[in-house]
Amino acid sequence: MDSDEEDYVFFGTPIEREEEITNRRKKAAAEASGNLRALPPWKQEVRDEEGRRRFHGAFTGGFSAGYFNTVGTKEGWAPQSFTSSRKNRAEVKQQSIFNFLDEDEKAELEGTLGTSSQFDTFGFTAAEHARKQADKEQKQRPSAIPGPIPDELVLPASESIGVKLLLKMGWRHGRAINDSRASSLYDARREARKALLAFASEDAKAPCPADEPVEEPESFTVQPSDDDARSSQSLPKVVYLITLIGDEENLFHDVESTIMRYEGPYDAAEISDLVQQLPMAKTEVMEDVVNAKEARFRRGIRYKRFLDLHGLGYDPFKHAPEFREKKRLHLLNDKQRGDRKTMSIKDSLFGSKSGKAAPGFGIGALEEYDAEDEDIYAAGYDFEETCIEDDEEPSRLGIESKQPSRLSIESKQKVVARDQGVLPGFKVASVSDYQLERFDPPVIPKDFAPHHKFPGPLETLKKLDVPSPPEVPPPDDSNLKLLIEGVAKLVARCGKLFEDLSRKKNQSNPLFSFLSGGNGHDYYERRLWEEHQKFGVQAKLLLDGKLSPSMQKMTAESRGKLLGEKPLERSSRETTSSSVASGEFQLQFNLSDTFKKPDSFSKLPDVAKPFKDDPAKQERFEQFLKEKYEGGLRSTGYTVASNMSEAARAREKLDFEAAAEAIEKGKRGKESMVSTQPLDFLASGMQFTSGGLEQVENGHAEDLVTKKMYPRREEFQWRPAPVLCKRFDLIDPFMGKPPPAPRARSKIDSLLFIPDSVKVAKPEEVAITNRDVPAAQTGAQMTIEDVAEEEIEIVAENVERPVDLYKAIFSDDSDDDVEDLNTKKVEDPEKKTEVATTALNRLIADDFLESLGKELGFEVPPDTPYSTNKANALRIETPNSDSGNAKFSTGTYLNPGNETAQDGDSQKNKSIPVRSGGYNSSKHTVGLLNMSGKVNEDKFAQEDKKVKSPSSRQRNWSSSSSSDDERSRKHSKRHRHRSSGSYSDPSSDDREHYRSRSKGKRERSSREKSSHSRKHSKHHKHRSRDSPSRSHRGSEREHSEARKEKRKRRD
Amino acid sequence: MPCVTWNCRATRAMGVEILWKNLESVMNRLILVVNLTVLLSLNYTLTAWIPRVYWKAAHWAQGLKGRMLKTKVAPSLAGLARPDKNKSNMSSSELPRKEANVLKGHEGAVLAARFNSDGNYCLSCGKDRTIRLWNPHRGIHIKNYKSHGREVRDVHVTPDNSKLCSCGGDRQIFYWDVSTGRVIRKFRGHDGEVNAVKFNEYASVVVSAGYDRSLRAWDCRSHSTEPIQIIDSFLDTVMSVCLTKTEIIGGSVDGTVRTFDIRIGREISDDLGQPVNCISMSNDGNCILASCLDSSIRLLDRSTGELLQEYKGHACKSYKMDCCLTNSDAHVIGGSEDGSIFFWDLVDASVVSKFRAHSSVVTSVSYHPKDNCMITSSVDGSVRVWKT
Repeated sequence: MDSDEEDYVFFGTPIEREEEITNRRKKAAAEASGNLRALPPWKQEVRDEEGRRRFHGAFTGGFSAGYFNTVGTKEGWAPQSFTSSRKNRAEVKQQSIFNFLDEDEKAELEGTLGTSSQFDTFGFTAAEHARKQADKEQKQRPSAIPGPIPDELVLPASESIGVKLLLKMGWRHGRAINDSRASSLYDARREARKALLAFASEDAKAPCPADEPVEEPESFTVQPSDDDARSSQSLPKVVYLITLIGDEENLFHDVESTIMRYEGPYDAAEISDLVQQLPMAKTEVMEDVVNAKEARFRRGIRYKRFLDLHGLGYDPFKHAPEFREKKRLHLLNDKQRGDRKTMSIKDSLFGSKSGKAAPGFGIGALEEYDAEDEDIYAAGYDFEETCIEDDEEPSRLGIESKQPSRLSIESKQKVVARDQGVLPGFKVASVSDYQLERFDPPVIPKDFAPHHKFPGPLETLKKLDVPSPPEVPPPDDSNLKLLIEGVAKLVARCGKLFEDLSRKKNQSNPLFSFLSGGNGHDYYERRLWEEHQKFGVQAKLLLDGKLSPSMQKMTAESRGKLLGEKPLERSSRETTSSSVASGEFQLQFNLSDTFKKPDSFSKLPDVAKPFKDDPAKQERFEQFLKEKYEGGLRSTGYTVASNMSEAARAREKLDFEAAAEAIEKGKRGKESMVSTQPLDFLASGMQFTSGGLEQVENGHAEDLVTKKMYPRREEFQWRPAPVLCKRFDLIDPFMGKPPPAPRARSKIDSLLFIPDSVKVAKPEEVAITNRDVPAAQTGAQMTIEDVAEEEIEIVAENVERPVDLYKAIFSDDSDDDVEDLNTKKVEDPEKKTEVATTALNRLIADDFLESLGKELGFEVPPDTPYSTNKANALRIETPNSDSGNAKFSTGTYLNPGNETAQDGDSQKNKSIPVRSGGYNSSKHTVGLLNMSGKVNEDKFAQEDKKVKSPSSRQRNWSSSSSSDDERSRKHSKRHRHRSSGSYSDPSSDDREHYRSRSKGKRERSSREKSSHSRKHSKHHKHRSRDSPSRSHRGSEREHSEARKEKRKRRD
Repeated sequence: MPCVTWNCRATRAMGVEILWKNLESVMNRLILVVNLTVLLSLNYTLTAWIPRVYWKAAHWAQGLKGRMLKTKVAPSLAGLARPDKNKSNMSSSELPRKEANVLKGHEGAVLAARFNSDGNYCLSCGKDRTIRLWNPHRGIHIKNYKSHGREVRDVHVTPDNSKLCSCGGDRQIFYWDVSTGRVIRKFRGHDGEVNAVKFNEYASVVVSAGYDRSLRAWDCRSHSTEPIQIIDSFLDTVMSVCLTKTEIIGGSVDGTVRTFDIRIGREISDDLGQPVNCISMSNDGNCILASCLDSSIRLLDRSTGELLQEYKGHACKSYKMDCCLTNSDAHVIGGSEDGSIFFWDLVDASVVSKFRAHSSVVTSVSYHPKDNCMITSSVDGSVRVWKT
């Protein structure tokens, strides 16, 4: 204190300056976020909301008052009162609820808290109660003697069986059951011991008569039997006072010490005789002690040996008497063998429970023990003990086999083995009724073939023979047609069951009347037949392919199938009717087929053996191929032919390279090309020598391109922080430049947790689809089923997308409103037309979902939101206001609602004249249909050239056909999706799910990861591609709006 | 001339004849040999230079002939090359294979052991939450650094040996004063365990790699506890970090080794396709050694991102284990999950030597900055010092 300040007098509390407070607050907040999380609880400090630590006074806890700044203490709310440790030791204070109650509250509680007579079975009231009960029963029961029986005649049992049992075990009336030995016991034992000692010393001086009863404070006496006393007349008297059994180790000391005092010969039988007379519960223990020590006595060992490291009076078997017997047996066995092996059971019993804790150091008392603290380095040696036990078995056998008779060995061994597993008080039955009955294995019928035939394909195969129903023109209503086709396809795929289900489901729905013979039934029949046909063919082909692996000659078609190529147009025309839609279907499932990995690719057909004449070389070649296609990387250790010279090896490698290339080419070649042709070219003896450098190099370069997946290098822009540059003593490369546009990738990723596994889509596969699928049809024409699936996806996607994402990306847009207005104007007429199709879609999707759900045993939410369709469809309008770029992206967008709208529209366009002016967007969509394909091609060209804009950080093979790819993959993984359960309820609950998942991302399985990534990356792709076109953002926003709308509606 | 013959032998051993084949005239071959001689007469051991010799030769030949000889040929040549047996034996005899000292004191697993910058001392850290300072040459335990709340996973010393940084399961990075043993600063901000830390050259920045899929740079000079840079382009846990004068290199479980060049503001991602466990840089700074979880160590060329070599034979499937190069860059050293240490030849990836060093997983290998000396740490709780 300054002297100046002493002159002033301060009143009140000084006002703190604003900035100080805010400063502190900030700090407090920062600390709270970082500090609390990172520090263990005992190091955390308590601060008030201002960030101050409160000083409570030096003697009242310093900065921390109470117990961790709570009002309580370690013992509870009431502080412990001081008790002098001189007179009476501080005891653990038992707190009851009455300690905390006021007088009046106690009075209130008096009535409610108390023992009810109903449960007081041990008291006097029990008898009374029982009698009443009996009376009542008696009255109800008709009896021979009419009227109530006099009470004197029939008395209910005054003691329950529990009481009886307890009595047998030594319990007396008026005593508590559980801890009868709490305080009184100790005194009692001490008294007894004193008495014993006194008696013993007395006895040593002058033997007193044996039949003199010795009063024990516990009031039960052991009297040596008369004959016993008589037989030991001449000997110093041995009187065993058995105190109450608390721990028999102590007891044993007593007994033993007494015995040792006498120093006389004694008989163990004497002891056990005495023991016999004790109440049951005690006998057991006593017997045990006696048995255990008997042998020792016999051998005349007079000193106490400590067999274990437990303290005096410690009883490891206090709560598990079963193990005592085991241990005893084991010890006896050990002794017989002279083997000093200790029992491992003990260790296992008292070893640490959490076996996998890291050794050497523990964890704080207040810290929780979690997975991180497990000792990951410890190997699982959990079975060690059992191994040891097993080891003992043969050794025992070996010892016992020294005995003469075999039979006795066996029987004895059996007994030993049995005895070990028997609980005390039980005995092994000599004759067991239970005999293991053995049955003969069932006789396999002669005509049984060890092949599981799946019912599905069989059914379809059978149906191939069904005569075709007459060809029927499709109904006029295109919606109905679409519906019929979809259902037919589903039925063909899923079987008859599906049809029944949907018929039952849609009995009242007039739209589905075709199922039960109504409008359009004929057409349905026809379609169904066609689908069956198609499936049958497919299945048959598959079966054929599987059943005849040794197929010598491959036709162009089968090879195409193996390679996942599209069959020729002609063949599909033959089987199906000329309707356009059927072609689409064909295409669709072909498309999905293309993504099946042709499994026989790695297996070379017999023809493709370019080095037939030299088997060793051929073998090496095959090895080479294997390495090449399976590893993805060129193997470095080329150790197969170590006897070859460097040059020869290099040359051969080049040869192989070329041959593999040729084979590859031949496989991938057009349908028209005969597969043997490139091989011929090989077989013609063209060898690559070192002279043919150009060719080799070509092959080499191509090879490197195709097979060098890893390591793969990519470059991105990265902006170091200015401070970082400064600290590294470098010039900031971005100095003075405006901050770069946030990298879409990282931003979205950090929000969505995308692990990068989309690269699964291999470039080759995509390329194949690209080449094979006629471009105009790629994304545009969808089956109903696919629509339904897609819808599921989209619902899931929408729900999972965090709202912040939109804010994060689009918050800076200011001129969106104009766009919005534009699109809104246009959207209205579209909306109306859309209603029909969306409703239809929804019906179908509903039905499909539900039936699927039923099949899988899941509950499907009754209301599948469908407004997304609308929102998606809205996107189409945007090209009106925007040019090429936007079209480009719409091509990739092709969402279900969109597509069906197009579908419907395109069909309408065929039948109905094109609508009037305000509705030109539909025309546009039709145009887009054709656009999209080209766009795809362009895309692919780009992809193939690996042209990548530096700012877009995607390594996905992004294109609409890759999304097709995904779609088809989805199709195969649909079940998984559904069974994962996260999509069964796509409402806000799902959002929760997402959040929690993000929290528990550590535990997420890789499978989940991959499935996620696929989805998210899909979005992300859309986003990043769209970013240049503003209108798209607008549509995105609309999308989100539509989503909100949808949510509202659902609410 | 003996010198020339030696060189000829060397070139033959390196399999340069392939290159010769491509150079048509005898004259050119001669020039190539001479050029190689020049290259090889540098005071580095021969084998360490082989890959670079290839490239140099290739480039040189390219300039000479005007023909595109792709540098891509180099790795395959490296695969084909068979170095002289005598040569490899000679260098392998210099490998530190004799146990000089055992540093015992850690309770539980030792997770990392590192030499200080001059190699006179070493640091180890482990599951017992302590960092220990040793004199490995005399086998003396000098100091304990205790403050971590959970296991310590990595430790690094500044070039002037005055400061330490360490990280671990408590999600914090500790910045220590070596002599007093006090914590100068704690950096909090990682959302998960921190796997690795490194100082930069000027000891002004600590870069940490965390389980939260980020690399974070922390400023040691200012008093702020916030990271000055967060690099979160990784898709999975970042396991290891390396720093050069201008770059930050991180290896991640997502299979990438990403180089962040501060000078030009670029991120270069090399996808290896396998979870990367540990990365370490060659002494010449041209290559990155990446230990992957498919039980192989890969050698990457930093400038091109090419895979130069793969080293196999050891077991590395589930633990974070270090790998490093010898001072001469002639051999690759890596531990194995069965407790053995492997020495591979850098060029032909053959296992030069292998011995059982520990009874359990070898978590860390660190090579002396100058001498032929190595320390290894293991889950068995010991740090062992190996000398020739």
